[in-house]
This record gives sequence, structure tokens and C-alpha cells, in this order.
Amino acid sequence: MTDNILEVKGIHTLYGESHILHGVSFAIKKGQTVSIMGRNGMGKSTTLKSILGIVKPRSGAVLYKGKEIDALPTWKRMRNDIAYVPEGRGMFHNLTVKEHLQMAARKNSRGEAHWTYAKVLEVFPRLKERLTNKGTQLSGGEQQMLAIGRALLTNPDLLILDEATEGLAPLIRKEIWDVIRKIKETGVSTIIVDKNIKVLQTLCDQHILIVKGKVQFNGDSQALEENRAFIETSLAV
Amino acid sequence: MEMSLFLVQLLNGIQYGLLLFLVASGLTLVFGVMGILNLAHGSMYMIGAYLVYYFAAMTDSFWLAVVIACSIAMVIGVIIERFLIVHLYKRDHLDQVLLTVGLIFIFNAAQSFIWGNDPLGVDVPELLSSSIQITDIVEYPVYRLFLSVLCVGIAIGMYYVINNTKLGMMIRAGESNREMVENLGVNIGTLFTVVFAVGVTLSALAGIVSAPVVSLVPGMGERVLISCFVVVVIGGMGSIKGAFVAALLVGIVDTFASVLLPGMSSMTIYLLMALILIFKPQGLFKS
Repeated sequence: MTDNILEVKGIHTLYGESHILHGVSFAIKKGQTVSIMGRNGMGKSTTLKSILGIVKPRSGAVLYKGKEIDALPTWKRMRNDIAYVPEGRGMFHNLTVKEHLQMAARKNSRGEAHWTYAKVLEVFPRLKERLTNKGTQLSGGEQQMLAIGRALLTNPDLLILDEATEGLAPLIRKEIWDVIRKIKETGVSTIIVDKNIKVLQTLCDQHILIVKGKVQFNGDSQALEENRAFIETSLAV
Repeated sequence: MEMSLFLVQLLNGIQYGLLLFLVASGLTLVFGVMGILNLAHGSMYMIGAYLVYYFAAMTDSFWLAVVIACSIAMVIGVIIERFLIVHLYKRDHLDQVLLTVGLIFIFNAAQSFIWGNDPLGVDVPELLSSSIQITDIVEYPVYRLFLSVLCVGIAIGMYYVINNTKLGMMIRAGESNREMVENLGVNIGTLFTVVFAVGVTLSALAGIVSAPVVSLVPGMGERVLISCFVVVVIGGMGSIKGAFVAALLVGIVDTFASVLLPGMSSMTIYLLMALILIFKPQGLFKS
């Protein structure tokens, strides 16, 4: 049995004629929190979508818990205890906050439910005040909290957050980071796409830098510190 | 108009409106949730009516025939969605129209081949064949009251499922953001099959239960389809609540127009639609 929860092996992903990912490979150990960094348009979101099967890589393989999942449709991958908070947060305009949480709630594939409706509201007390509001009536920060809460209610083993704090006010960001820390304590493996290198460095166990569809750096926080200058240059606009 | 006549017409209008709702709710549900414009929706109304005719004669039981006809309609719905509609989700409405118009021709040909073109009728089930006295001189058939009660029951049931169950939440979520529903681990393919099959079964059910009060003739499906489109447009595309209000409005206006303005009755519902669209271009309840 491998202790990697996820292995991405040389994936090439294309949108029509444009070649986005050029053989991306990395592995993530169980229970680790991993950052994926890179400038806009470098292939971070495409990497996540390739892992989830939302886009289909032309070649390469994705192994989840040691098994190839390339043939599975997205919903089946999710049923194997993956949760995804997409960029844009994926709110439903016609569902209330409460309904967002209710419709997503389920035990994981082993029949466990670490996260419950009550627990999510405890972690995100702001949502408690907005239960009857529609998803799209919330502020950006509240939407992100709802999107994370909804993802947690599926009781995932692997949580994938795209643009975790983009466009949010500093105080809200801090709240989101605090929650991600709490999630980390529960042992859920997490992939976070974000640009805030300072927070990521203290929060994450492993860091991946993607430049032009290739992994240019993959290491722990210590290695990140040693290569900080290079990484910051790669992230600078 | 005399009070008693008014009352009878009002009841007729409500009953017709509720039946229209049954058909229109399926049409608007499939459009709202799946983005599919199913012109063969009216054909399912016709097929339902002919199936209940066939099985009522065969089994000698109207109620057994209702169950068989509904089951067959649901199977037809599943087959159409799984083998045909499934290819159209990413195409535009024109392709959907082409396919579903083709289905109308196929259903009509099948109807004509199996049952012929002469008008047919289904007996009102004995249990409900009596009438009740409304006023001293006016009686109203129990079966028509039964139709109204059934339709209201189904409307309440739909309202409950859509607003209060996990399935209903998933259906609404699918209307809002299909991809995200899939991202939450829901098999959207199965969800769509269920919605489509339920949608066409509602249409067939309307045909089934109205068979004892209408005559079964070729083209009955198209006529109901057009009225349904009027209902769906007035109510707001994709809105079930809108379909309910609009169906009652259309049913009542159409019924009274045929009594009060017999010469103009065929155009009144279109005038109503035009009038409403002037003030509410998206329909009464925009989805």
C-alpha cells in the first residue's frame, strides 16, 4: 500500500489546440497540506481539473489512493472522498445557505461523518446568521466559507481548494486560513492554490510551483525558503 | 351569466387549468433543469390517453390501466433520454427541436398505425361516474372534481419534493450550476434521466386521466403542447410556480372565452399571453 494519497504522472492537458500542461508530475502524501503556486494562466487550475476529470488529460495518469482513476467520471472521483472548492466558488443562486449544506452532506465511502451540519456552522459562525439567504446573496468571503463548508460536509479525504483567498478582504482571509489550519488538524489531505507565499510557507508541508505547464519546484517549506528568490521571481507579475 | 352557470364554467376552467399544469410542469421542469426543449412532450399526453384506452379495454379495469400506462410512459421517457436526449445537452435548442419534432412524427405514426384515426373514448370509471348537486338545477360530474383534486395533490407533492427534499435541492442546484452538482459527487446523468422520465410521465398522466373526459383523436398531443407553451411562456420558462398560476389563468380564460366569446375563443389565450408579455417580458415568475 502506498502512503501517497495522490500521484500525478506526466499529464499533458490541452484545451483545443493549446497545450496547457506539459507533463506535470508530483505526489502527495496522506494527511499533507500542499500548495500549488504559479502566475495566472500557468496551469494551476488545469492541473486541479485534470486531477478531478473535469478536463481529460491527453496522456499521463492520475493515481488516487494507489489506483488509476483516469477512467472515472468526475462525480465518481468525488464519491471516492474528494471534495473541490472551485475558483468562483460554484454557488447555486436558487438555494439557501442551509440548502447548500444539506444537499451536499453525506458520509464518506467508509460510512464516517466527521463533519456535520452543526460542526460546519460552529467553524463558520457567520454562516449561521445567513442560513436563509441565497448562495449568491452572500459576500465573497461568506461564499468562500459556504463553499468550503459544503465541501467538508462530503467528508473528504482529499480537499482541493482553487484560489482559496483570492479577492477577499484581509480579515476574511485570515478567517479562511484559520479554518484551513483546523482542517489540517483533522488529517484531511489538502491541495491549496493561492498566491500568498508567506501564509502558504507556514501552513503547508509541501509546495509545488507550476510555470508554463511544468513543475519547476517541488519541495517542503525548508526548500521553499532556500529557493525563495527564484520562486518569488516566478510568481511576480 | 347566471350564477350556477358561472360556477360550472369556473370549475371547468380550473379543472382544465390544473390538467394543463400537469402537462406544463413536466415541460418547464425539463427545460428549467436540463435546458432541453422537448416538443414531443405533447405526444406523451396523447400516448398516455391511448395507452389507458388500450389497457382499460384489455384488463377491464381503468385503475390498473392507469398504473400500466404510467409505467410504460416512464420507460419511454428513460429510453428517449438515455438514447437520444443525452446527445443534445451540449447542442443548441434548434437541434433539440429537430429531434423532438421527429419524435412527434414517430409517435403520431405509431398512434395511427396501432389505433387508427377514428375518435375513441374511454369510460369514466364506475367508482367516480356519479354527479353531485351543486345548486338546485346544476350537477357536476364527480370525475371532473377528482381530476382537480388529483392535480392539486400532484402539485403539492411536487412542491414538497422540490423544496424540501435532497433530491429537490439537487434538481434546483442542477438548474443553477450543473458542473458544480457533479463536483459534489452527484451523478448528473442519472439525475437528468429521472427528471426527464418524471417530466414526460406527468404529461402522459394528464393524458391518461383526461381520457374519460375528452375524445381520443390524432393530433390531440400537438393541441395540448401549444397550450402548454402558452402556459410556460406566461408563467416564465422553467418556473413550476409560474406554470401553476399561468395554467389556472389560461384554463379559466379559455373556458370563459369559449362561452362568452365563441367566435374569438381560439385566440384569447394568445391575446392573454401577448398582454402579459408586454408588462412582464420574462413571464410572471422568471426562473
